[in-house]
Amino acid sequence: MGKKLHLLTQNQLLNAIKTNDSEVLKYVYTNNYPKIEALVLKNSGSIDYAKDVYQEAFITVWTHVKTGKFVPKNDTALQGYLYRISKNKWTDVLRSKAFKNSTNLDNNHLKVVKEEVYDEPEDKKLNATMGAFEKLGAPCKQLLKTFYFEKKSLKEVAIEFKIEENTARNKKYRCMQKLREMVLASN
Amino acid sequence: MKDNNNISQELLETIENYLIGNLSGRDLEDFNRLLELDEDFKDQVEDVKTTLLGIEAQSLKEQLDDFHKEIPETEIQQELALKKSRFASYSRIAAAAAIIIAVGSIWFFIGSPNEKLYANYFKPDPGLPTTMSSTNNFDFYDAMVSYKHGDYQIAIDKWKVLNAQKPENDTLNYFLGVAHLANKNEAEAIPYLERSAAAEDNFVFLNDAYFYLGLAYIKEGQLELAKKNLSLSNIEEAKKLLREIDN
Repeated sequence: MGKKLHLLTQNQLLNAIKTNDSEVLKYVYTNNYPKIEALVLKNSGSIDYAKDVYQEAFITVWTHVKTGKFVPKNDTALQGYLYRISKNKWTDVLRSKAFKNSTNLDNNHLKVVKEEVYDEPEDKKLNATMGAFEKLGAPCKQLLKTFYFEKKSLKEVAIEFKIEENTARNKKYRCMQKLREMVLASN
Repeated sequence: MKDNNNISQELLETIENYLIGNLSGRDLEDFNRLLELDEDFKDQVEDVKTTLLGIEAQSLKEQLDDFHKEIPETEIQQELALKKSRFASYSRIAAAAAIIIAVGSIWFFIGSPNEKLYANYFKPDPGLPTTMSSTNNFDFYDAMVSYKHGDYQIAIDKWKVLNAQKPENDTLNYFLGVAHLANKNEAEAIPYLERSAAAEDNFVFLNDAYFYLGLAYIKEGQLELAKKNLSLSNIEEAKKLLREIDN
């Protein structure tokens, strides 16, 4: 993208996110992290926690953009949404028994409060698919990633993998079947 | 769950085209009609949709660590790194060490052995990051700013107000203790440090509290109490100091 990223409107931003524009994704990721790190550190967390919570929130926000659950209401809506989702996720960690047991948390200092945003019911099926894709054999994984995430055409995939276009097409189908079997098996 | 796995290549590709928005005209109309009429078909479409979303989400997830490396190190991280390396890496605080050695060597000639030990080992606690701008605990962090500027008396005065409201707060007691110590007032420091060292085992600054308490007692010339507290701290410097006292 030749454009200055900070000048993108919310809609341009969302469209770029929907097509997995790597530069835009990286821009959004790197620019919004410091605020969330500050939030977590100031509320009994560590840098490692900040990173985990932020990455989880980032994927959630991306999913909501993709599926149209997130609709921007102003020029910094996406950034604000990412912050609120992160904050909610951090509140959940703070309230979790495991975290309370591992720290000497003074409840009087527990000032983070869950904000009212869309509360994600855990999407088990999506998580199962992500888990299966993580474990999918490398050749299939690479091929599906190139096609579906990087949005390359079959022709480009064929060139990249040095195979015939038709072979790429058949391989893609077989890999999809393999992945779907793994998802079913994990249920 | 219904087994939607048996799906022909052609059908899979048609569904994909629909999801990407590549169907049009008659094909799209047919597809939409089928969606309305056939629940199983609708499930199948949802299923493929989730599969594609999962592939993308996981691909993105696996890239995030690379993105993360490109975040410029924040001020907070720098401070934390410094705090972490406080007792480990001297190279990062070489300047401070040089001053301490200089001061230490003055004591070597004029001071008592205890003061020499104290000077060799005492470095004020670097404090907590204060770069965040939230109103939570504003007063506490306001005092922390003073502390980090070396305005120990001002920090102490501010923290004392909070301490009056929350005498049991371990963190507050700890910083009041180290601030008094940095302000060269070990007699005042000891009660606060004793209180913070009485905290629960998982208190973040527990090992630091024992260490500074040990130092304060050294300065006071109470070596037995110093040893007792140092032996309770797992900080490397505390162990080293303990060995030096014993020699």
